[in-house]
Amino acid sequence: MMNGKELLGKLGKLGDITSIKDVAPLTAALFPGTHCPLMGAAMAVRGIEDAVIMIIGTDECSYYTKHMTLYSEEFGGVTGRCVSVVLDSRDITFGSKKKLEIAMKELVEEYKPKVVFLVTTCVVEIIGDDADALADAMSEKFQISVLPVHTEHFKCENHMPGLERVITACFQLMEKQPKGETVNVLGQRMGNFASTELCRILKENQVEIGMQLPCGCSIEEIRKAPQAKLNIVVHPIALPLAKKMEQHFGIPYVFFNKFTQPTHIYEAYKQLFICLKKELPLQLESLYEQAKQSKQAASKELEGITYIYGNTPFDCIEFNQFMVEEGMSPLIIQLSEYEEEKDKQAVEKILEVTNPYVAKSANIAPMQSIYDVLHPNLYLGHEYAARLRKKGIAMVHSDKASNMLGFEVTLFITEELVRAAKEAKDLKMEVLS
Amino acid sequence: MSLTRYLPTPSDRMGILWNLLSIEESVVLEYGPAGTTHFSMSLFGDLDIQQQNRLFTTHMDESDVVMGDTKRLERAIIEIDKNFHPKVIFVVASSVAAVIGVDIKGICTYMQNEVQAKLVAFDQGGFRGDYTIGCMETYTLLAKELPVNPSSKKENTFNLLGASLWSYRVRSDIEELKRLLKRAFDMDLQAAFCSDTSVQALEQAGSAQINLVMQGTAVQAAKVLEKRFQTPWIYHAPYGYRATLEWLEKIGTIIGKNVDTVLADELREKNNNAMQYRMYARMLHRDKMKASLIGEYDVIQGIGTFLEEIGFQIDHKLCIHTLRSIENTEERIFSPSTEKEKIDLIKTLQKQLILADDIMLELCNSNNTKVRISPPVIRGAVFARHLPLMGERGADYILEFVEQYLQNLK
Repeated sequence: MMNGKELLGKLGKLGDITSIKDVAPLTAALFPGTHCPLMGAAMAVRGIEDAVIMIIGTDECSYYTKHMTLYSEEFGGVTGRCVSVVLDSRDITFGSKKKLEIAMKELVEEYKPKVVFLVTTCVVEIIGDDADALADAMSEKFQISVLPVHTEHFKCENHMPGLERVITACFQLMEKQPKGETVNVLGQRMGNFASTELCRILKENQVEIGMQLPCGCSIEEIRKAPQAKLNIVVHPIALPLAKKMEQHFGIPYVFFNKFTQPTHIYEAYKQLFICLKKELPLQLESLYEQAKQSKQAASKELEGITYIYGNTPFDCIEFNQFMVEEGMSPLIIQLSEYEEEKDKQAVEKILEVTNPYVAKSANIAPMQSIYDVLHPNLYLGHEYAARLRKKGIAMVHSDKASNMLGFEVTLFITEELVRAAKEAKDLKMEVLS
Repeated sequence: MSLTRYLPTPSDRMGILWNLLSIEESVVLEYGPAGTTHFSMSLFGDLDIQQQNRLFTTHMDESDVVMGDTKRLERAIIEIDKNFHPKVIFVVASSVAAVIGVDIKGICTYMQNEVQAKLVAFDQGGFRGDYTIGCMETYTLLAKELPVNPSSKKENTFNLLGASLWSYRVRSDIEELKRLLKRAFDMDLQAAFCSDTSVQALEQAGSAQINLVMQGTAVQAAKVLEKRFQTPWIYHAPYGYRATLEWLEKIGTIIGKNVDTVLADELREKNNNAMQYRMYARMLHRDKMKASLIGEYDVIQGIGTFLEEIGFQIDHKLCIHTLRSIENTEERIFSPSTEKEKIDLIKTLQKQLILADDIMLELCNSNNTKVRISPPVIRGAVFARHLPLMGERGADYILEFVEQYLQNLK
């Protein structure tokens, strides 16, 4: 068993960091480790209905990605839109161009794809195959769009860059269009936008939804995306694309992240309706009040509740500020990203109250010994629930929020935090007895 | 190879990992980007392989790749040794580590002085071939590194070599072979290379009376153990009643015992009954009893022979992996060089008994009778430990499908 005190002694505090490089992992040996950008790229292509993902890399990378798509209806299952070009030692030495050409010919003949995302993996990047040039050559030869996406994991922290790069690559498919009245939704990586509060509000106010990238669109919709009058960016992965679209097609964007703070959500709605040149719907005022009241009411139950933050669908720092305002106390915040410009203000608010440890995310193995030292009430993120319960810790389940945007997020998460806090109190009693 | 539409054949590295993760009291440490480790978890979960406190990654960043800095690997080895006290730490190179030429063996050599655990390096990285090469190298290296000199041979014990967890129904096969050997000679399993075993069991592998090789990938390991401990071995995968009895008789000859007569008679009688299918074959007016097999070498060789014995004409025997790790292969078994070759062939088959993996079974015409005998399993899951392909019960199981197939013939 690891020595939790010793591990904590090596960790930095939130107040000390200026970039993600200042955040150390709890241990050098990690389990399970972060997801890789290849997986992120596959997640993004899943939602683009007539595009094919072609992985170029080792058998292993190809196997795991295909394995992930086997049960995906959107991908088309076993015979679906995920294929690969598997490299062997000869290709590593002499390059992959020849093999790629043969594979692309077969792909075009059999699948007749409209667009191919040519996704490179770590090894391809190391041997220096020029995927961009290869993609250009294939586009020209086969007269289809072949878009290169680089997913080497040794250059980034997690799977998000894979999503971001696929989304950004879609810019190359867009064509100038006469301006219309639709709004695009960019960056909904999981869940269904149609079931969100934001979507309902838009529809009730006669706003027509255009392209939804990457949560469900066609190549034709991507091509016509520049007809939109506004882009709504619901996750930072879509910011690079939104900025490009603004620059090239003059389409403004509103950043409507999965905020938990009622004030942030209200501000995003206000900005959205200003850009839409529409009156702010009256019901938003009452939803705002409802969210604030929910937050206030929950704080009575949450005061003094301690937690370890793992991962959630929310913005890490924004959500932690929310919880600190609820009277909760973070003991460790696990991070995979930190941008000083974006996060500094919220961090300062947290630091006014507490200065928790920080660690890199996705390393739950050493957490077991930390629980015995810090005795948190809650764990937020993916862990083994039974293992936590034995230690008197309740797990906060936040995955449901993937289908949410707007004030519903606040209502949901306050309710879940209160539920988990009550469970933690019961568990503590059980452990003590 | 060109376009891969379905699941590629797993690499040597993957074979190494699923074998090593089956060994309790050890830890597998991967030196490479974390995403590969995380991604692999779903496959190992499907194979019912325990990963908690058994599998770790170091992750690698750009400076590790560019500068060749291996400090995080060294720190991880020390941490695991200190925190988990495993008997063995298997240090496995990722494809990235292999391509940039990290000297995993060298690092393990100089780190050995720093830790209590035995360090065993695997530097293949996924480029030496498919998983059969990984399995072969794993069994061989384990046979060299782990077993210690026994004070004496343990009577009535055997090792199973070549028990790769990716193989379809391998856990059931192991249970069947254990059952047969218990009935035939009152023998017990010492260690299975490498299925649900432990460092301790492998350390004592030298004491077993005989080594039984289930798959050709483990022949080299059997030779190593023979050289080190003078343990006799046989390579014989028992599919069908006759082959099962022959297998038991071979073992009996080596250990100087007769096969339990009740069991031997039972197998003879079942074999005689199965031979009556030859008569069915002759009675068919229009159709012929035809079968094609796609799978791992020993499975298609063994089941193919059994089906031929009972009157089938075997159309094709396609191996899903390369034959590099198998000595003296059967001529009719071939390994297609591309996926397309395999797909084109399977689509031509009509009204046959097709024994293959889920993907190939999906691709073949519905007028065939289909039996899953090979990985990858993509439909449902495998839980049972009593439904083998090998041995007496395996033959019973295959015959159920033969009956089903015959109902479609005229």
